[in-house]
Amino acid sequence: MNRPVPVGESVRLISLDEESRLFLRLRIALVWQAVRAMVTGSRLRLSLVAMLSGLFWAALYGLFHEAFNFLDVLHADVIPLLFNAFFSSLMVMLIFSTGILLYAGLYCSPESRLLLTLPVRAETIFGHKFREAMWFSSWGFVLLGSPMLVAYGVIRGAAWPFYLLLLPFMLAFVVIPAAVGGICCMLLVGWLPRLRLHLLTAGVTLACLAVLWFGWTLLTEPKADAMSAAWFERAFARLRITEQKLLPSWWLASGLLEAAQTSRTGGVDGTALAEAVKFLSLLVANALMLQVVAGWLARVAYRRGASHLAGEVPARRRRRPGWFDRLLVGTAASPGRPLRLLLVKDLRIFRRDISQWSQFLIFFGLLGLYFVNLRSFNYHNTYASMIGFLNLAVVGLILSTFTTRFVYPMISLEGRRFWILGLLPVDRDQIVWSKFLFSFVGGVVPCSLLVFLSDCMLGLPWSLIAIHEFCCLLLCAGLSGIAVGLGARMPDLRESSPAKISSGFGGTLCLVLSSLFIMLVVVTAAVPTHLFLLSRTLGPALVATDGLLAVAGGPWGTAASLAVVGLAGIAATVVPLALGLRAFRKLEA
Amino acid sequence: MIEFDHVTRTYGPKTAVADLSLAIPRGELFALLGPNGAGKTTSIKMLVGLLHPSKGSLRICGHDVVTNPREAHLHVGYVPDEPCLYDKLTGREFLWFIADMFGMPRHLAGSRIDREIASFELAEFADDLSESYSLGMKQRLVFAASLLHDPDVLVLDEPMVGLDPRSVRIVKDLLAARTRDGMTVFMSTHTLAMAEEMADRVGIMVRGRLRFLGTVMELREQVALEATSLEQLYLELTSAAGVDS
Repeated sequence: MNRPVPVGESVRLISLDEESRLFLRLRIALVWQAVRAMVTGSRLRLSLVAMLSGLFWAALYGLFHEAFNFLDVLHADVIPLLFNAFFSSLMVMLIFSTGILLYAGLYCSPESRLLLTLPVRAETIFGHKFREAMWFSSWGFVLLGSPMLVAYGVIRGAAWPFYLLLLPFMLAFVVIPAAVGGICCMLLVGWLPRLRLHLLTAGVTLACLAVLWFGWTLLTEPKADAMSAAWFERAFARLRITEQKLLPSWWLASGLLEAAQTSRTGGVDGTALAEAVKFLSLLVANALMLQVVAGWLARVAYRRGASHLAGEVPARRRRRPGWFDRLLVGTAASPGRPLRLLLVKDLRIFRRDISQWSQFLIFFGLLGLYFVNLRSFNYHNTYASMIGFLNLAVVGLILSTFTTRFVYPMISLEGRRFWILGLLPVDRDQIVWSKFLFSFVGGVVPCSLLVFLSDCMLGLPWSLIAIHEFCCLLLCAGLSGIAVGLGARMPDLRESSPAKISSGFGGTLCLVLSSLFIMLVVVTAAVPTHLFLLSRTLGPALVATDGLLAVAGGPWGTAASLAVVGLAGIAATVVPLALGLRAFRKLEA
Repeated sequence: MIEFDHVTRTYGPKTAVADLSLAIPRGELFALLGPNGAGKTTSIKMLVGLLHPSKGSLRICGHDVVTNPREAHLHVGYVPDEPCLYDKLTGREFLWFIADMFGMPRHLAGSRIDREIASFELAEFADDLSESYSLGMKQRLVFAASLLHDPDVLVLDEPMVGLDPRSVRIVKDLLAARTRDGMTVFMSTHTLAMAEEMADRVGIMVRGRLRFLGTVMELREQVALEATSLEQLYLELTSAAGVDS
């Protein structure tokens, strides 16, 4: 064996500190360039994102302010329980999301493949990707948690240390689940590669079973005492499992509750503040300790795990056309065959892409479970109608996230294969129409079923069910039209990642327009219906006897609102599609 | 400089590289040839530390790639088949990042970056974000980065993909000059003409095994056919009949 050759004077192994500084500089440069590109190139998108984030934050703050106001007067003892339930749920979500993001970042990204061939420590690569994954998984927590905690502080009249400690508490907390997620990810990849899929399947199954059990217990409760004090007691008793003193979520909840305490004069309570700092120290110490453990594990396991994973070959599976594909393709020479062939292609891609159908299944499955549970409550007729419309809006909003995330990028992704489609004897319009049909049919079936389920559980009359189904149909058509039309009007032919395409300007615009369209449809249809039901329940005199409200609350008002909804639905479908078709005909790949 | 010592790598039940033993001395340009799925890319990935051997060991300049990856990487420059860059860094910023990673002194790094920018004719776009580069521009930048620290060993996986004829000439001239100065080159390629023109020795892999190791002249003698071009020899050696014999 040859002796190691000494390196020349021009190169050397750099220290851990130098590596850390180098990666910090890299991160700053990347963020700076990204921000600069956004500020100079996509001001509208940046303004929209900032404005919508601000609105979202303010709306959440208002909601939490009202909720804490109500609870502080009547059920102040419930707040610690709610904090614990909220933070422990977030903790579990952060563990999973950081673990999944780290898996992609550490083992599947081109960047990690580049870094693994350079003389850099494995733990430095881990740290670099860990901070990235932690940021991506926890910004939502800050956006969601900060208005809640500020609202709590305001309602409790907390002194300045509470607000000062909010950010350190949140930052120290998110590191813990993120590090646990990272550790689990490396252990699974490094030592249990064959068990990975089985464990994931078992975890998802267990989570689904837990949710089903929780739903079933609510469903089987006697209807009569729903929303009563005893019902609340039982519901809260189930949440007490989250009040474990060994959980970081308990340290966070307790620390924040202590920090919000005030003295009798309304000033800073020294004893409570000391307790809060003690909890913060506990969080910081554990966060640091887990980071050390994760770093050590990265040193031992990262390169080995990356090698294991790179050596895995996907199982070869023969795929045969399903009965539905054969049915759709039909006979060889039948009219509209190219359109149906394109539909079958998209359907096959959807079926074979687990990330698409699993999200579809999870979100609509959870929604279905929630709708099934609606029967547990005895609603007043007008409330039931309002909840029915809210459920319609929720179905629409979830569909809009799918159309933005999966349908909007479809045309852009075809751009990369444009040489195939471009050379086929297929009219370009048919490509766009196939995407629209795929989205519309794929959306309308589960959405109309969910709306029907919700309305049945709420015990709504057939007339209201028909209105909701009409709105649902228009929502599905409009959302599909917006996503496909904008996707064809603003394609990003250079990008191969659907996530990046949908998070661009066009994707953001698609989401915003979709949200506005849903609000327009639901509010326009809901207001006259609600007024009509109110007039029937409370008597016309208590609502309005003449003027606009009386007209709106009458049958003509309902008819007019439905006409407006119909026009809005047609416009949302036709206008973006026409723009998209025109742009796609002229597209040059 | 490079030592494969009875290296085997398996992917589940499939053996991608079987008992590969190979030593490549200083200053040699070695070309690894073989059909798709022969084990060339697996060998290269093991050489640069992206894959660990299932059996055997692999050393670069005396450093075991698995147990001392950082020490081994200090001697290596690597040009992958698909160039990976940071989209939001300029070419020059990327070169500085690589130079810093190898602990190069600032003054030396600056002069080497200028040298490589000139060698690969990158000056025109070195200060643009690399997201705007074509495949050929990216490949030239990766070449520049791999040579920045004057590595003892340069590992190239299909290096000419995406390069225009002028860039190919630049790379060929550079490789010839650097190997004369003592750099070892380990290259996998499907471009037989390049291997014939440049390689000191060629290795032909078929189904994970090294079917031939030697100079092109020795290959001609071994196959002992009327075939005169490397292409004909290669096709003869990698054909089903050739493999079975």
